[in-house]
Amino acid sequence: MANSLIVTERSGFGAATIMARKGVSTAALGDALGFAPPEGPARIERDGLALIGTGPATWLAMTDAPETGWPASLEQKLKGLASISDQSGSYRVFSIAGDSARSLLQRGAFIDLHTDVFGQGSAATTVIAHIGTVFWQVDDRPNFEIAVFRSYAPSFLRWLEASSASL
Amino acid sequence: MSRLPSGGLIDRAKPLAFTFDGKNYSGLAGDTLASALLANDVRLVGRSFKYHRPRGILTAGSEEPNALVTLRTGARAEPNTRATMAQLFDGLEATSQNRWPSLAFDVMAANQLFAPFLVAGFYYKTFMWPAKFWEKVYEPLIRRAAGLGALSMQPDPDSYDRAHDFCDLLVIGGGPAGLAAALTAGRLGLRVIIANEDWLLGGRLLAERHEIEGAPALRWVDEAVAELGSLPSVTVLNRTAVFGAYDDREFGALEQVSDQVRAPAPGQPRQRLWKIVAKRTLLATGAIERPLVFGGNDRPGVMTASAVASYVNRFAVAPGNRAVVFTTSDSGWATTLDLLAAGVKVVAVVDARSDPGSPAVVKVQQAEVEILTGAVVTDAYGKTVKAVDVRTAKGGIRRIEADLLAAAGGWNPSIGIGSNLGDRPIWSEAIHAFVMATPSSAMLPIGAAAGHFSLREALTDGIRSIEGIARDLGRAVPKSAIPRTTEDAAEVKPLWHVGPHRTKAFVDFQNDVTDTDVRLAAQEGFVSIEHLKRYTTLGMATDQGKTSQLNGHALLAAATGRSIAETGTILSRSPYTPVAIGAFAGHHRDGDFRPERHTASQQWASEQGAIFVDAGPWKRAQWFARPGERDWLDTVNREVTMTRYGVGICDVSTLGKIDVHGPDAGTLLDRLYINTFSTLAIGKARYGIMLREDGFVMDDGTTTRFAEDRFFVTTTTANAAKIMQHIDYARQVLWPELDVQASSVTEHWSTYSVAGPLSRTLLQKLLLTLDLSNDRFPYMAATELRWRDAPARLFRLSFSGELAYEISVPATHGDMLVRALFEVGNAFDAVAYGTEALGVMRIEKGHPAGNELNGQTTASDLGMARMMSTKKDFIGRVMAGRPGLTDPDRPSLVGIRPLGGARLRAGGHLIPRGAQAVAANDQGYVTSVAFSSTLGHWIGLALLKRGSDRIGERIIVHDPVRGPDVEVEVCNPVFVDPEGIRVRG
Repeated sequence: MANSLIVTERSGFGAATIMARKGVSTAALGDALGFAPPEGPARIERDGLALIGTGPATWLAMTDAPETGWPASLEQKLKGLASISDQSGSYRVFSIAGDSARSLLQRGAFIDLHTDVFGQGSAATTVIAHIGTVFWQVDDRPNFEIAVFRSYAPSFLRWLEASSASL
Repeated sequence: MSRLPSGGLIDRAKPLAFTFDGKNYSGLAGDTLASALLANDVRLVGRSFKYHRPRGILTAGSEEPNALVTLRTGARAEPNTRATMAQLFDGLEATSQNRWPSLAFDVMAANQLFAPFLVAGFYYKTFMWPAKFWEKVYEPLIRRAAGLGALSMQPDPDSYDRAHDFCDLLVIGGGPAGLAAALTAGRLGLRVIIANEDWLLGGRLLAERHEIEGAPALRWVDEAVAELGSLPSVTVLNRTAVFGAYDDREFGALEQVSDQVRAPAPGQPRQRLWKIVAKRTLLATGAIERPLVFGGNDRPGVMTASAVASYVNRFAVAPGNRAVVFTTSDSGWATTLDLLAAGVKVVAVVDARSDPGSPAVVKVQQAEVEILTGAVVTDAYGKTVKAVDVRTAKGGIRRIEADLLAAAGGWNPSIGIGSNLGDRPIWSEAIHAFVMATPSSAMLPIGAAAGHFSLREALTDGIRSIEGIARDLGRAVPKSAIPRTTEDAAEVKPLWHVGPHRTKAFVDFQNDVTDTDVRLAAQEGFVSIEHLKRYTTLGMATDQGKTSQLNGHALLAAATGRSIAETGTILSRSPYTPVAIGAFAGHHRDGDFRPERHTASQQWASEQGAIFVDAGPWKRAQWFARPGERDWLDTVNREVTMTRYGVGICDVSTLGKIDVHGPDAGTLLDRLYINTFSTLAIGKARYGIMLREDGFVMDDGTTTRFAEDRFFVTTTTANAAKIMQHIDYARQVLWPELDVQASSVTEHWSTYSVAGPLSRTLLQKLLLTLDLSNDRFPYMAATELRWRDAPARLFRLSFSGELAYEISVPATHGDMLVRALFEVGNAFDAVAYGTEALGVMRIEKGHPAGNELNGQTTASDLGMARMMSTKKDFIGRVMAGRPGLTDPDRPSLVGIRPLGGARLRAGGHLIPRGAQAVAANDQGYVTSVAFSSTLGHWIGLALLKRGSDRIGERIIVHDPVRGPDVEVEVCNPVFVDPEGIRVRG
């Protein structure tokens, strides 16, 4: 379908902020996690754990199926290496997929989303309609996922509705 | 009808009905409102700003100063629409502006009789005296008479949206230079955006007759348009005016998405604001033809020659039947040929030059048109032009009957956007116009915008510029051939003024500035170009002097005996063309003016009939009215009473919450707070105060320790973001050596205060496995637990002064928790309370909040001097020791209670009894008041000079705005349970 746009909301995920302790390298975190977290604004997913670079030595960790007590397992793995803050309640995460998904996000985000620049695995922490967001490209359908602070989600959805109507 | 029988880029099979001032007309698809009016022989289109002189259509482009109309009606009415830019649509309704009662007969035209009073600077001179007349008489008079159009005063029914794009190359302008450049760059695979103000690409090629590669130029345009459409890396934005250049190679542009239809399609915006970042930019904005300054040059029927060419060639309209062409440039001769080819009678060509060299001269001679060289038009006459006076080479005046005067005064490159960032244009003797001072590879003018006026130069610039840009961007550079074109002569000799004339000669049509005004300004000492603009208003308003600027500057130069180069020109500021405020606001209007924040209990609170109040972007439940309650005070009294004697529940999720983790977290908190946190036991909370660097209180809140290296900081709702920033600043900039991390978790936790003597009983029923006895979970205890398989936290904290707890769960579970609390709480008659009851209880308890933490109080002022540690350093410690901040005379926090049960109001000033109510006797003010249902009377918190020493004294609260003086007794600010027995109970 031309100009398709499919917006769905994800639920049941776990989210946490990982901030490296002073002097702890990304490689050291990688050793503890089993894979190296991305350097810069990007997303890497291994074995059900996705890490999204949101700032220097800072990542947003996401998992689709958090076990009871998550992120305790993450804390355990990174003990002494990083500080973990549970953010599972902080975000509503929407999947924005289809031919028009990129155009829609570009209407809102003032960063370059051209396929040459922003592809699968790219991530951004930026503002859409005065609302802080973190979004990333999951695959080449393309499917993007965008995390919006829970309290702002109704306002964000109003922007989403108005902007998708004008695509 | 003046529609020519053939030609033009109009669709004769598609007639479009429209009205102007209520009269029905018919135009064709492809018309602008201006061309359709001319086709219907409507030449009088508006009245001028100051003198209400009849005005017509001067140009065919965005520089139009005269033909401003109100488009559409009702809420969609848009004043000051340029008729030359409005694409005609079926059902278009337009009305003229600045006339009363009608366009043909305008009472205000009598302003012309008062013209001597309305000269340059009249604002500053005429209405100065007597001063008291200004507000009552002069201002309303001027406001009624002047101004451009009127707003509908109704909400705009349309929407406006926003878009962003990034490119290697932004081409501003879709004329031959821009098209050639976009095509060349697009073929190289560069990311190109070409922004074109018109709805058709082609620029001057749409309006002039040229050949490219031996075929009509329009064929080349068609092919270029088709190829651009096929290039995946090229974005063509028609109807899109780039209006400004900003820092970091960012540009603003306005796309008219739906202006060419009666009403936008569902979901579609009226206009779209673009922010474009371009690595390289080409200014292919063309040039604007200068009008000539002679008497009556503003009369309908006087047009720029290029506009005449446009109407004849593009719109197939003859703007007159007997034309005189007045020229100083070769382009005027080309227009003469256009008129002749269209069958319009040209009675004379008047060239100020004595020996015009254009090859067109011979052809005009062959057509037996009278040619007057070395001659000028001095005056035009008639409400719409009926005749013109020509001063011949020999000095005699000849009157020629004509209804159209095409004036070709030479060309000014359109470089406004080029000077947006401060590059002041410089004078070019070669082209007699201002050009960009420092064209760079970042922004390069090409074609006419660079003063290269011929078609061949335009195409050459367009193609060659890409070779440079491609090299810059590291791309391969194939050499492209320049298409062959017909010759078009572009010689010009400037003529800034025609010499003596009989009637008013206008320099700035839109602002009614005449040649005399410019001279007068110079005489009065306004010799700087920027002063001239402000004093005479030359170059202001919607057209920003696109047609008037240079003529005005040249006249100023002449009046002050300087060259134009010495006189200089002004800097163009964005927006280059008018942009509606609505387009800048976009989605952010009405309820979306700024984003709102909702807590997890929003839905539940709405169901309970909550009234919401704005707390910054948050919507917080203010109170929960029940049937039978007369007003908010009834409701709030009930909420307070039921909480103090039973149990109340309040959503306090909006407080800022910050995880401060790491081995040095305690050390950092010791440096941030005036009191010590590194010694705080795990599982305990402590109240703390942070100071600003200058020693004043910044914020307060509780901080809890959950592990050796895990603290949980809370802030006030208002300062949540600021404290997060402050903590990041401290750990990243002040003490980067500390191993400490901080993360906002405000959004993660949904928190409810459960307060009142029954709070323990209620929570114990909710949290069966936890021992909430006073011994096991005392005041200021905190613990992590699980509730319904989610992490949860319980704190024994109290803002109300009652036995109280705060319980937190992830915001995903916030709605579930509030419902669960009331399911359990129903047995105890638990009450929901809002921010108003919260405020009453904190005032009763003497807790400072925003009104007291107002940036002007010290810890000592708030009665917390003893909290300031003397064993450690912390932010604000040194400055808090300044004499001014330790002065015992400083106002400090006290309670006040009125004698005789009077109502108190916050903001009232404190005056000693018997003293006069003057500023010298002012000893402080009331910060917060509440009706205490617990005590049965009003109470207040106040900041009073030496307050803590004056407990028991009686003073006067003076509130001259809202009520009579009230006598109050100064008391302890803690009205309820001053010993703190309840919170520890």
